[in-house]
Amino acid sequence: MTSKQWLALFCATVLCLGACVVGFNWLADPFGVFTHKALEWSSYEMTLNPRTAKITYLKEHHQEYDSYILGCSSTSSFPTEQLNEYLDASFYNMIMYGADMLDVEQDAVYLLENYEVKNLVVNVYLDNACVYDQVTNPLSYSMPPETTGESAAAFYARYLFMDPRHSLDKLKAMGEDTYLTQSFDVFNEVTGAYDKKVRDAEAIGSLEQYYESYPIFADYPEAACFTDEDAITGTLESLTRIRDLCQEKGVNLLVLCAPVYADYWDYFDFDQVADFYTRLAQVTDYWDFSYSSVSFEPRYFYDETHFRNCVGEMALARVFGDDSVYIPQDFGVYVTADNVSSHIQDLRAAQPQAEESCTAQVPVFLYHQIDPQAEGDISITPEHFEAQIAALAEAGYTAVLPEDLQAYVNQGKALPEKPILITFDDGYLSNYEYAWPILEKYGMKATIFVIGSTVGNTEHYKDTDYPITPHFTWEQAREMVDSGVISIQSHTYDMHQWAPYESGQARENILRWERESEDAYRQVLSQDCGLIREAITQGTGEDQVHVLAYPNGQLDPLAQVTLLENGFDILFTTQASCNTLLKGQPQSLLGLGRYNMNQAVSVEQTLEWASDARG
Amino acid sequence: MSFTSLAFLLLVGGAVLAYYILPKRCQWMVLLAVSMVFYWVGGGKTILYVFYTAATVYAATLLLGHFNALKNAAPKEEKKAVAAKYKPYRRAVVLAACLANFVLLYVLKYWNFTAGLLQPLADRLSPGAQIPLSELVLPLGVSFFMFQSVGYVIDVYRDKHPPEKNFAKLLLFVSFFPQMVQGPISRFHELEPQLLAQRNLDCTSLKYGIQLILWGYFKKLVIADRAAVLVNSVMGNPWSHSGSVLAFSIFFYCIQLYCDFSGGIDITRGVAQLFGIDLAENFRRPVFSTSLTDFWRRWHITLGAWMRDYLFYPMSLSKPFGRLGRYTRKHIKGKLGKIIPTSLATFIIYFVIGIWHGANWRYVAFGFWNGAIITASLLLAPRFLKWKEALHIDDQSKGWHLFQVIRTNLLVFLGRYITRAPRFLTAVWMVKETLLHPHWGDLTNGTLLTLGLSGSDFLVIALSMAVLLAAEWYQEKKGPIRPALEKQTPFVQWLAILIPLVVLFCFGVLRADYISSDFIYKQF
Amino acid sequence: MLEELLEILTEAVPGVDFETETALVDDEILESLDIVTIVSEIKEAFDVEISVDDLVPENFNSVQAMLALIEARKE
Repeated sequence: MTSKQWLALFCATVLCLGACVVGFNWLADPFGVFTHKALEWSSYEMTLNPRTAKITYLKEHHQEYDSYILGCSSTSSFPTEQLNEYLDASFYNMIMYGADMLDVEQDAVYLLENYEVKNLVVNVYLDNACVYDQVTNPLSYSMPPETTGESAAAFYARYLFMDPRHSLDKLKAMGEDTYLTQSFDVFNEVTGAYDKKVRDAEAIGSLEQYYESYPIFADYPEAACFTDEDAITGTLESLTRIRDLCQEKGVNLLVLCAPVYADYWDYFDFDQVADFYTRLAQVTDYWDFSYSSVSFEPRYFYDETHFRNCVGEMALARVFGDDSVYIPQDFGVYVTADNVSSHIQDLRAAQPQAEESCTAQVPVFLYHQIDPQAEGDISITPEHFEAQIAALAEAGYTAVLPEDLQAYVNQGKALPEKPILITFDDGYLSNYEYAWPILEKYGMKATIFVIGSTVGNTEHYKDTDYPITPHFTWEQAREMVDSGVISIQSHTYDMHQWAPYESGQARENILRWERESEDAYRQVLSQDCGLIREAITQGTGEDQVHVLAYPNGQLDPLAQVTLLENGFDILFTTQASCNTLLKGQPQSLLGLGRYNMNQAVSVEQTLEWASDARG
Repeated sequence: MSFTSLAFLLLVGGAVLAYYILPKRCQWMVLLAVSMVFYWVGGGKTILYVFYTAATVYAATLLLGHFNALKNAAPKEEKKAVAAKYKPYRRAVVLAACLANFVLLYVLKYWNFTAGLLQPLADRLSPGAQIPLSELVLPLGVSFFMFQSVGYVIDVYRDKHPPEKNFAKLLLFVSFFPQMVQGPISRFHELEPQLLAQRNLDCTSLKYGIQLILWGYFKKLVIADRAAVLVNSVMGNPWSHSGSVLAFSIFFYCIQLYCDFSGGIDITRGVAQLFGIDLAENFRRPVFSTSLTDFWRRWHITLGAWMRDYLFYPMSLSKPFGRLGRYTRKHIKGKLGKIIPTSLATFIIYFVIGIWHGANWRYVAFGFWNGAIITASLLLAPRFLKWKEALHIDDQSKGWHLFQVIRTNLLVFLGRYITRAPRFLTAVWMVKETLLHPHWGDLTNGTLLTLGLSGSDFLVIALSMAVLLAAEWYQEKKGPIRPALEKQTPFVQWLAILIPLVVLFCFGVLRADYISSDFIYKQF
Repeated sequence: MLEELLEILTEAVPGVDFETETALVDDEILESLDIVTIVSEIKEAFDVEISVDDLVPENFNSVQAMLALIEARKE
């Protein structure tokens, strides 16, 4: 080979390799900047760069939406479903992590100029007073060139010539994708919001437990936060332009100030913040949720900068005057240029709610069998059972039903003075024979969690010849429900099987089998939820079947998420602990602990557990 | 402007295009212009130092040239007298040129170190007195271009060649851009004609240049930059590591230093070759050295040659050394008496080489270490010969050769403790730890994987080093690789393009600081 | 003079066949240390002045070259 040929070959090889990299980056498109459909995975692309991927997504899907909510990552927690309902619209959540008001303006202008828009909701976060027009990691934070006027060549070159590991990672992630949210696909591309199904299904209890799970709240990191005059000016100018454009186009504009966690807020100089809010009111009216009793409650926050969806629901309910939802008194003020100064005074005075006014302690007792010859871990004699119930009644405890807890949490409806819950697992005939009359006698209510497939098994386990402890029938169940004392709820339809009596692989609990696909499992569990709901409704006339006790108390995130999606929103475990309910936080019903009751539990112990709850 | 930046590649690419497209008489001007741009981008205002050196050297050499001409023009019978007449002037000029540059170099590079030493003395003499520190920015490659320029002045003084009369051409010699980062230190009579030559496009030159550049990048990016991660991690806090890990990191430092330095030189020489210019070799496979002296003949060759020609020879042949030689000969019997002056000169040279690397006790100690070992081996050489005879060791055997190579590498390895440790005393402590508390288990129990490099990084380093050593072994034993490669089929030659490019891209260009998608957004 | 020079050389660098080698410096048989040693011996033995300018490979590549150098400096 001559040197000339060698040089030609060298150049050709370099060009080919370059073309391979560029072609691969174009094809995989992990940042969602190209509009082709090959290897499309919007939730992944939005995670890598929400700014580009959402605009790309909307190019295809904008007909499905007529309204948009814009802002930094906290914007995600204003649920679009609720906005749709209140405004009879179809919202898309344009949240971009780390967004400043320039990003928001560029998005807003792009949307208003290109698409039919009915409503625009803009979220102003405290950070908008600190940063504006910020340059960060260009791959993940670039706005698309249509919105910024950046040269398209430079923009696309950046994504074509980037490190191809970004593209490779996307292919790898495709193999690792699961139904549950993972770090590489945190968005729900259909709503545009963060996919927080796991965090929204986690059980939330006492403050101490929450601190333990999320130490950031217990020991909030020291930070010096300053507003920046240039940032404030920039933010307000952007907002002014958005406002004017909305006016010009006849678009309904709603400005919200997202809740800020109190420890973070406190690092700011109040006067600087007040200045920002005052000047904001000169630009536009806005709903201010930033600092109130909500800010002091960590259980209302995912982390130090993101409030939870349930808080977003309260905020929207306040904006749209929805009385059916619990909202703390001081949460949300409509601020105008006229009332801003008095509002600032109120802000200064914000403080946490008194614990008694927004939380409740509820102990739950778990019984199984009532048996005159009681022995073992799960049975108790009728006499001893009566003694326990009588003692509780005498001590002034009132037994309530799960729906009472829900009313407390969701609507803020008061509970009786000393609330307790009495529950029975499995649905034994003895519950009907002994427990029901005794409960009726003392005016105590109780919930029985039945296994759908064994209701009415008086002699044999399902359709086998194996003997079984007798279970009551649907008629007996209906009788109890009709009395108003008993609620029948789910212990699954058939996911609490007794392995030795089953011919195939048994469903002993609600968890996924080891080698089962996620889809197959979710189908099984969803089907089971449907079956038990139908069986209970038809068998007993119970109108709401949405409470479940985990078989063996076993649970995992996938089960929690699937149950929640199937409408089971009050869930009981077998953990021996008292429960803390927090108003406005429905997740305090997702992992209720229960004290296991049997012959060995003395009356004194019963009373102690009941009173322990009050600390 | 770093060799590894895209801007550098673009600059070189542009320079090559301009060099071969513009008329030939402009070629040297292209090089000068690019050199100025390179220095300006990399060094900013410190480019003034380059002009300063060029100006002093220009003035001195013109004067020297003038005196030389006068001397050479004298008729034969008067030559000696004329030479004697001008000798003081010539000496004064060369001395002035040396001082003009070395004093500045001293202020820039060594003053703050000296001031730190003198401060306690100043405190005692007049409490509260503060010796002013220099705040001057160290110019890019200052040690290289000043040494190269001073060498040129001395060559003119020695009348090896006439001075360059065109200042711009001299400026190009002083500032030729590929050399500005890490040498080599070239000789005027070798480099200048090449800089000024007018050339046609030579594909072979381009090809060799590209190949050498790729090889250099391979050493630098794939091996050195990787090894550096571990070295920096351990040396950032040596006290928290066991002796074996310290030794391992110094071993990696040896790899890093060689690959970084020689890789950089390969890139330099490759870039020069794109313009048809052959720069002096600076490394000749030092890993195969059989003695520390041999090592210094193979490592940073141009610095060693500079020291030899401009310091060691004049010093050894100077009058004081002559007198010392006569004295030792008279009073010390045998060979020892004869070599004492040489040993002393050797010792001084290594001392200077040590200090040349930087103003720090570590470098002083490093010079001392090399000087001491080489002097000792000189002095003890006759004894070694006797031992060898007594032990019946065959000088020519492979085993003995291997032993020498391993011994030399061990000595170099020990020396690296001194240059890499954050402080000299730390180096001493590190050697102590290596010997007394090695905890060899740390090399196999996964500790190494906690130092910033993954298992695959170690694999890349190991395989790359195997390739590097194999190539050097081939060069050492069989000769140049490229002619052998050119005899291969076109497909194999193509593989020799493709594989290096792919390897370079995957393990060199793609950086370790890549943020995978898992971490771009931290889930809450 | 040749014998004397060979003696000096052999003592300074044993084991080299000085009479036949013609590239002593270029082939790195003699290194700078040896050259300095040899030069100081020569200066002593033949009472000649050898300057730094003379220390170039051409003058030390062979015994003949060295002899020529000595002759030249004797003048």
